[in-house]
Order: sequence, then structure tokens, then C-alpha cells
Amino acid sequence: MSHDDIQHHVKTYIKVFMALMFFTLLTVYASYVDFDLAPELKAGAIFVGLFIATVKGTLVATQFMHLNNEKKIIYWVLGLTIVFFTVCLSIPVLWDSNLVGDTNFEQSPPKIEGGHH
Amino acid sequence: MQIPYNEELRPDTGLYNAKLGIWIFLASEIMLFGGLFSAYIMLRVGAPVWPPLGTAQLNIPMATFNTVVLITSSVTMVMAWASLKMNNFGKFKMYMGLTLLFSAMFLVVKYFEYSAKLSHGFTPAHDTFLAIYYTMTGLHVIHIIGGMIVNGYLWMPGSKMWESNPVRFTNRIEVAGLYWHFVDLVWIFLFPSLYLL
Repeated sequence: MSHDDIQHHVKTYIKVFMALMFFTLLTVYASYVDFDLAPELKAGAIFVGLFIATVKGTLVATQFMHLNNEKKIIYWVLGLTIVFFTVCLSIPVLWDSNLVGDTNFEQSPPKIEGGHH
Repeated sequence: MQIPYNEELRPDTGLYNAKLGIWIFLASEIMLFGGLFSAYIMLRVGAPVWPPLGTAQLNIPMATFNTVVLITSSVTMVMAWASLKMNNFGKFKMYMGLTLLFSAMFLVVKYFEYSAKLSHGFTPAHDTFLAIYYTMTGLHVIHIIGGMIVNGYLWMPGSKMWESNPVRFTNRIEVAGLYWHFVDLVWIFLFPSLYLL
């Protein structure tokens, strides 16, 4: 990588830094907005919060970790990890159809809205 | 014995060995934190009320401040690497020092956050929310401390390598940086999951 290439990268790092700051404040602001899609599940807030986090994570991974321009073997390693991670994440989510947290196995207690912590 | 491919790239992978090594390590870290995020989802969807009634109120301003601090440390880390690439060892020292300073700030804020909770009896045993909160943030703090030890070594005694082998030293900073950005990335997801949602 030449000196000019690195200087170009440095400009990008500064822009990404400002974008990350903006998205951090946006995440906090969004957490106070009532999206009201499914209040009992906070589905709207969770979607928005995790969407912004994913955008921030993508910026860090592609720009700071240089995943936008990496060797094929690293993409393979990460691809395989994502497959296993998805399996790991999906099993308990799918398992929700069982009765985890229920005290009455025949009738599920209604979900109650928790306070903002 | 000389360890091969410290500076030159392996013809089959196109990478120096440490870079492939750190990515495989980070893959295992994704699974480690992934398992905990999975546990968090399971606890959350299984609970009739989330967060449980009577649990601790998490301090959003403190966590927001820590998010800003950690993101800034990630930028200074990548700037430390870029400084070496531009043969500016003085700037590397400055940026790496700043990275360590921001890391220490993160830990100090975390200390105040933990001590405020614990002094009111909000221990991990209090409820499932606090159990997963302490487990996930505690593991993250351990990663911060680990990163600080490595970065501290590379900042002070380890930086002598710059005189004898600058390419290898720059590669070391790149590898340490990849780890540090990963720690930042984990916090980017921990912050909304635990504090905001």
C-alpha cells in the first residue's frame, strides 16, 4: 500500500468515525421513540435498534477491519462462522415454541410490557 | 527456529500467518459471544416480563459515553497502524497511547457502573436480566483488559521491534488492531441489546 493510499484510508477513517458517532446518538434517540408496531414485544424498537447496530458493525468491519478488500480465505473462514452462528442463534429462537419460562404448561401467561430500564 | 511468513505473504493464502491466525481466533470469538447472545434471546423470549420487575435501572448516559469512548479508541488504533504504514513512529506512539487512555476510561466508567449496581444489592444472582448483563459485559471487560495488556506491550517494550524489523512490527499492530475492532464491534451490539431495548 502506497503512502497516498494510506492517506486516502485515513480520510475514510475520519468519515467513518463521524458516521459512527451519528449512529450512536441515533440509536439512543430511537430507543425513546414509540414505534408501536407490537408494543408487547417492543418489535419495532428492537428492529430499529439492531438495524442501526448492524449498520455501525458493518462500517467497523468493512473500513477499520478492511473486510471490504480481503483475501478469499478470510471470507471463507467468516462465512463458515456465520453459518454456525446462525444455527447457534436459531436453535433457541425456534425453541421458543416450547414452554421456556412458563409456569403453566397448558396455558401460557400473557406477555406484560416491562418498564424502560 | 525461525517462524515462517511473519513478514512475507504465504503463496497459498496470500496472507502472513498471524493475520490468518487472528481471523480464525476472531471466528471462535464470534461463536463465544454468539452463544451468549443466543442465551440472552432465550432468556428474553422466555420471560413473561422483560426486564424483570424490580431489576436494576441501567445507566444509559454512562453506557452512551462508553460507546463513544470505545469507538474513538478503535479510530485511534487504526490511526496507529496507518502511522506506521506512513513510517511515522512518533504518531504511532501518540495514537497507541490514546488508545490505551480511552481503554482505561472505558474501564473506569464500567467500574462506577458496576459498583453503583452492586452497592444496591443488584448482584448477578438478583434476576436473569442481571445475570446475563454481568456475564456479557464482564466477558467484554475481560477482553478489554486482554487487549490493553497486548497494546500496552506493543506501545512500550514491544515497540523496540520497529528498529529491527519494522514490517513485522507493523503486522503485529495490524493484528492487535483487528482484535481491538472486534471488541468494539461486540460492544456496538451489546449497547442497544442490554441498555436500550
